[in-house]
Amino acid sequence: MPAQANQPLPAGYVLNGYRIEKPLSSGGFSIVYLARDEAGTPFAIKEYLPSTMPLRTEGVEVLVTDEGNLSLFRHGLKCFFEEGRALAMISHPNVVRVENFFRANETCYMVMQYVRGRTLQFHIQRNRHEFTEGFIRKVFMYLMNGLREVHANKLLHLDIKPANIFLSMEGRPVLLDFGAARITLSEEAMKLKPMYTAGFAAPEHYRFKPGELGPWSDMYSVGATMYTCIAGTPPQAGDQREQKDRIIPLRTLARQQYSENLYSIVESCLEVDYMKRPQTAFDLQKLLMEEPVAEDRSPSGFLETLSTPLSKLFSR
Amino acid sequence: MRFTIFQDSKVGDRQGNEDRVGYSYSRDVLLMTIADGMGGHDMGEVAAEIAVGEITSRFQQEARNRLQRPFDFLVSAIQSAHRAIVSYADQRNMFECPRTTCVACVVQGGRAFWAHAGDSRLYLIRRGEVVAKTQDHSKVQQMIDAGRLTSEAAAKHPDRNKIYSCLGGVVAPQIDLGRDIRLEPGDTILLSTDGFWTQIPPNIIGTMLVRQPITQLLPGLITEAQRRAQGESDNVSVVAMTWENQEDDNVSDTRAMDEEQFATSTNTTQPLDPDGLPADEVTDDDIERAIAEIQNAIRKVPR
Repeated sequence: MPAQANQPLPAGYVLNGYRIEKPLSSGGFSIVYLARDEAGTPFAIKEYLPSTMPLRTEGVEVLVTDEGNLSLFRHGLKCFFEEGRALAMISHPNVVRVENFFRANETCYMVMQYVRGRTLQFHIQRNRHEFTEGFIRKVFMYLMNGLREVHANKLLHLDIKPANIFLSMEGRPVLLDFGAARITLSEEAMKLKPMYTAGFAAPEHYRFKPGELGPWSDMYSVGATMYTCIAGTPPQAGDQREQKDRIIPLRTLARQQYSENLYSIVESCLEVDYMKRPQTAFDLQKLLMEEPVAEDRSPSGFLETLSTPLSKLFSR
Repeated sequence: MRFTIFQDSKVGDRQGNEDRVGYSYSRDVLLMTIADGMGGHDMGEVAAEIAVGEITSRFQQEARNRLQRPFDFLVSAIQSAHRAIVSYADQRNMFECPRTTCVACVVQGGRAFWAHAGDSRLYLIRRGEVVAKTQDHSKVQQMIDAGRLTSEAAAKHPDRNKIYSCLGGVVAPQIDLGRDIRLEPGDTILLSTDGFWTQIPPNIIGTMLVRQPITQLLPGLITEAQRRAQGESDNVSVVAMTWENQEDDNVSDTRAMDEEQFATSTNTTQPLDPDGLPADEVTDDDIERAIAEIQNAIRKVPR
């Protein structure tokens, strides 16, 4: 979690009818709060607040004092709007839902559905031993449903990684954080350089030639995420791999038995040459479905709670 | 929709006109706005101009068919006009921010919705009686409410021009909402600036409206308001609408208009150019537009 130079809103503060309970997380450009509306329904509210600028040392108003900061602040706001636009267009159980968007305290807020659960990153750190082949295939198969919807809306996520995938209590994967998402058909949006996360961003992402970015760039990040689920650590960064590819073969890192087929699926997603990857989320989804999902019979608590509802909840 | 509309703005005995009035309507929705600018050096004029211009253009962006939530629209449009005035002053390093009052009224689905800040007024007149009105955000109104002043004494009170809510001030405007009122045929909604309402008591308007339509009555009343001020007339502005019998074929029906077409009339002089801003700069308008766009998208996608 990057350090925030800024004060979060205090608990109990009422923001446009939502009562703030506590900060849930804090990122480079925002703080996410747990809040409830008058009916008591919980929401996750994302507050645009770049952590590198001291904007709120006290109170609740965001104050941009420095002239240079103002244009930076507003530029970041553009990206925040891109995220809002992107999410507003999508309604899908595997993509976080945006419920409201408004301006207050001299900044902007995005109200999202609150999903109970943990990020995939949390589970990788705590429960990786329980990531069986069946579990990984299921989670990513369903995640591809959401990503297909994203791509169908001419959007690229461009920051898929374990920290941006949520597993609800019932085991439903939900794609979060569209802060890097770009509407591919909008030239304006493609002019904004998306941020990236080393290890998860595709090699072409670093070069930032908008023409090279496509659904295949998200496929790389999905591959890197699956790699991390199995290996516990992300692969070598994409830009370095282009110089000298030293990616550690997944087989040597796996802590349990996975099929050759699964390894080769992950490897194909992680091809440096984007032409060699699965080109769409649907392509990857088909690959994940081809191998029959092995029944998991181990009496592990985490999977026990997940595996039963998984099949129920994901069939639409 | 079948209605009759009238508006006019007169300079009175002042040097310039700092009032702005406007209306805009499409097939299904009508907006009326009035603003009375304050501040020296023509600056009140700028504030009123921005207010009517901004609210009208927001209306045309958001009311393509009809407004989803008229009160939300009114509040957000007035707030964005406030911010536009503040940023206008900011960009020019103005020592004092120009200010303006504002009343805006939306008529849609046979109902009226309004919001105001300051001491420009709205009256809803039904069968000769004022059945609803805005409460001025003024010092004298507060004193009247507290029982410390009579309406008659208020007209001569030295602080009668002091208002505590306006657009462009240091603090964001206090915006009061009217009730959502179902209109009956013959109802008249009249918005006016203090140059008009301080001179013409509402009961007179009511009585005369029983006999004359607004188009015939109001030009005379505006002249009368200036005359009564005895050489010291403030700017006098009115925009008013009479809701007609919706079956009356003698009154034109807005449903004859094309979809997404707006008929607009204001006394604003021109769209203000946001000079000096680099092309890539994100303006307050851009922000408001982006938010409106996102909110629209949220509402459109079934959830």
